[in-house]
This record gives sequence, structure tokens and C-alpha cells, in this order.
Amino acid sequence: MRPAAPPIVRIQNIVKDFRPGLGLRRLRVLHGISFNVRAGEIFGFVGPNGAGKTTTLKILMGLIRATSGAASILGHDVGETAYRRHVGFLPENPYFYDFLSGREILGFYARLSGVPRSRLRTRVDTLLEWVGLTEAADARLRTYSKGMLQRIGIAQALVHDPQVVFLDEPMSGLDPIGRKEVRDLILRLRSEGKTVFMNTHILSDVEMLCDRVAIIVRGRIQFEGDTHEFRAGGEPEADIVLSGVSPEAVAALEEGFQARLRGVGERIELRVAEKIVNPVLRAAIAAGAEVISLTPHRMSLESIFLSAVEKDLARMQDAAARRQA
Amino acid sequence: MIARVLTIAWNTGREAVRSKLLYTLLFFALVLICASLVLAGISYVERDRILQDIGLASIRFFSVAIAIFVGVGLIHKEVDRRTVYTILSKPLSRGEFLIGKYVGLVATIWLQTAIMVAAFAAVSLLQGAPLGVGHAAVFALLAMELAVVVAIATLFSAFTTPMLATLFAGGVWIAGNLTRNLRDLGADSELGLARQLTALLYGVLPDLASFNLSIEAAHGLPVMASDIWLPVLYGSAYVAIVLVCAVSVFERRDFK
Repeated sequence: MRPAAPPIVRIQNIVKDFRPGLGLRRLRVLHGISFNVRAGEIFGFVGPNGAGKTTTLKILMGLIRATSGAASILGHDVGETAYRRHVGFLPENPYFYDFLSGREILGFYARLSGVPRSRLRTRVDTLLEWVGLTEAADARLRTYSKGMLQRIGIAQALVHDPQVVFLDEPMSGLDPIGRKEVRDLILRLRSEGKTVFMNTHILSDVEMLCDRVAIIVRGRIQFEGDTHEFRAGGEPEADIVLSGVSPEAVAALEEGFQARLRGVGERIELRVAEKIVNPVLRAAIAAGAEVISLTPHRMSLESIFLSAVEKDLARMQDAAARRQA
Repeated sequence: MIARVLTIAWNTGREAVRSKLLYTLLFFALVLICASLVLAGISYVERDRILQDIGLASIRFFSVAIAIFVGVGLIHKEVDRRTVYTILSKPLSRGEFLIGKYVGLVATIWLQTAIMVAAFAAVSLLQGAPLGVGHAAVFALLAMELAVVVAIATLFSAFTTPMLATLFAGGVWIAGNLTRNLRDLGADSELGLARQLTALLYGVLPDLASFNLSIEAAHGLPVMASDIWLPVLYGSAYVAIVLVCAVSVFERRDFK
């Protein structure tokens, strides 16, 4: 595991309200989210569509303003502009001036980012090569495919050699080969010591690439942790499905073995550490239970993600029930 | 800062130069300037004045049309097409971006107007119509008027749709040509409220009639230095105030 590095991106208790239409009603899309991104890591910001990932990223890029809370990058408030010469950004489904060629647009962004004139041409050529667009460099962007635009988007985010790169759905619109190339590019950035913040809902990409992950559901952070744990498997667990167990016996199993109860009804499902499966089974059988199945369980990002979504759904249902009461 | 503003300005100019709309408007302007030869030819009296009246009016009309039609989409298009996302993620303030767009468009429109002026000069020389200092003053003040019109279009473009911005900017241009009449009417009014209201409108709306020396030029009337530098000073101050308002509006926007 990597030693904890100092935070490069800090988000503290960010709240964002939008006003849909002209009315006074406010729609809260971020409910006081907080997390940090450390130097040199690939950080995955994961959530279902509409969870608030892009809104968070736009706040970091100064495109929208938080209603309250604080956000900083490299120690600078996100409202400042000068530090952005160290920041690269690829928006979701990026749009560019289609009257320019690939080479012209990269030159334009390089000049805006303060790349010295002496290095500009070489840097543009290097980036075009990195993203595989050397041959299409002089074609107008209006002739580019979606995948080519995504590549030029990645190139513009890197053209000024930033320390931190923010990518919003970087694999969007890419074919399998393109996705592999972008994954390699992201890993290359990490090997060069860059910090990468990646918005995505593709969990396999996160498992393959990210060092840490935060899961956001309906504007609330539901999980923040190290992906090495579940990539390495974490502590092995097992799911035991039993039937004919009295409520007292279930309570005893939960307390005695720190088992997590996952299903209630005629059958119950307990999740326990794999190393204590035998004592749990013995205790369950002694209490008159019938063992239906025993399945090894390995914590995956998907299970964490689904659990976060379920948790949010349960919270919504509780809130609705309270309102009705 | 200047380098970033110029980068945006240069790119805005490049976009305009590659736009079909400008070429179409420029083509019609040149056709009309050349057609003034024919129209002047069928007249028995004051051929030179008719030729130059039509030419000057064509240049002014088409230059203002380009300023409004392109200016109203200047910022809105960037937001609507989301090109602004990547640009504002660079070390560039929103103010620098807006000023860069403004400078780029004004420079492009001045260039287009210069082409029309060259055609006008060629047609005048061909017809033997006189060209003098008065004409130079007309074009200098037209350049200032265009700078004011683009600033107004940019302001509206910073917060509303091109359709509404066209209506607002067009309305301001028409009203701006009538503010002197409005002020004089108000001054003659016996109603105090009417006097105050017309004085307020005269102060807020641009006095675009102050940039129009076409009559002096076409009739060969003398033009004083103050007829030029006072409107230029007024126009520059007006542009500065309008752009400060535009930047202030643009700074507050959320790009959802």
C-alpha cells in the first residue's frame, strides 16, 4: 500500500443548490460532501447518473459556484485562476471549435495555458502522438469522430504538462482499443507523478486504475476508501444461508461472531469472516438451523457501490415514511 | 494577461473569418456599394451625393448588422456548445475571456468595414466623386459606433439567448439613434416626469447620432476636431462601462 501523501484536492462540506426555472424553489444536488485527493494517486469519483459527479467537478473547475463549503486545489481556492496552469481538465463529451484543426486547437490551449513559444510546437506534436492523432493533426475537428474528439480532449488537458488532471468520463465514446490506450495513458500519468481525478460510472475501470475511490449517490458521499483493499480481496468473507433459526439464535450468532445479517424471513443470510465459518456453522446447527448454502464472498467495488445505492434508497424510504407519518 | 486576451481575440477573429455569415453580409454590402453606381447613373442631379449617400448608408447598415448578428452569439454560443468549459479551466479569468472575445470581434468587424470602405473609395474614384477629410471622419466614428454596438451585443449575449439579444441590441441601436430627439422632446415637455424620464434615457442609452457625420461628409461641410475626439471619448467610456457590466454578469453565471 502507498504511504498517505498530502492532499492535492480538498473538498470540505460542499453544498450546491440549483433553482430550477424562475421560481424560488431550490433543488439541493450536493448535500455537504467532503473528501480529499492525495498527491500522485488516481482517484475514482464514482456514482450513478445524476449523483452529482459532474457538478462536483464543475465546482472544482470554477465553472459553477458552491452554495456553501470550501474547495481547493494545490492549496488554492478554486475561484482563483493562476494555479490552473498546473491543472488539466477533460469535460464529459467535450466540445471544441470545429473550425480548427487538431494541431491548431492544441496550440490554442497551449498558448492559453502559458506554454512558452519555444516549446509549443514540440509539445503539441508530442501530445498528438500520445493520443494517436498525428495523421489527423491537420484535419478540421468537424471531420473527427467522437472517439477522436475524446482523444483531442485528453490531449488538451495534458498539453501544458499539468500536475493534476481531472477527467470526466474519459472512456466515453472510445472503442475497446481506445479505452485500453486511455487506461495506459492514465497509468503513465501516475508513473510521472501526476495526480488524476477521474469521474466515472464504469466500475471495472476504477478497479483496474484507481488507488482510492469515493462513491457518491444523490449528492452524498456513501463510501470513501482505498481500492487496493478490495483489489487484493480484503479479508475473505463467506455468506451462509440458514433456515429454521429462531430469532434468539440469530441474535446470538450476530453478537457472538460479529456476523452481518443480510436477509430476514424464512431464510436468513449471514456474512461472516471466512476464518470463523466452522464455529458459526456448528453454533447454527446446534441451534437447530438447517444450512442451505455456503458461498465464499469477496468484497468488490460493485458490492460496495450497490450497497451504497441500497443504503441511499433505504434512507429515502425512511424519509418518505417519516413525512407520511 | 494581454497574451491570453490576444489569444482569445485571435481565435475569435479566426472563427469569424471562417464563418459563412460574414462573407454573405460582406458580399451583399459590396453589391449594394457597386449598385450605387447604377443608381447614381440614372439620376440627372447630384450624382456624386446620391452615390456617396447610398454607399455610406450601405456600409453603416451592413457593419451594424454584422456587429449585432455576430455579437449576440459571441458568448452564448460558447456556453451553449460548451467550448467554454475547457477554456475557463485554463489559467484565464472570465473577464479576460469576455474581453478577448470582444476585442477579436471588433477587430474582425473593423477589417470587414475597411474592405467596404475600400470598395466605396474605389467606386467614388471611378465616378470622380470627391473624397476628403470628412469621409475619413465618418469612417473613424463608424468604427467607434461599431465598438459600442458590439459591446452592447456582448452584454446581452452574456446572459440571454441570441434571439432575445438580437431584439435587445437592435432595439438599443434604433433607440440610440433617436435619443437626441427624445431628449429634445422631453426638454420641451411641460411634464416634469417626462423631462426626467427622457433625460434618464438619454443618459443610459448610447447617443449613436453623435457618431454619424454622413451628412457633413456627403455635403462637404467642415468637420471640427472636436466632432471626432469628443464622440470617441464618449464612445470609449460607454464601451468601458458596458463591458464592466458584461463581465460582472458573466462572472456570476453558473455553467450547468
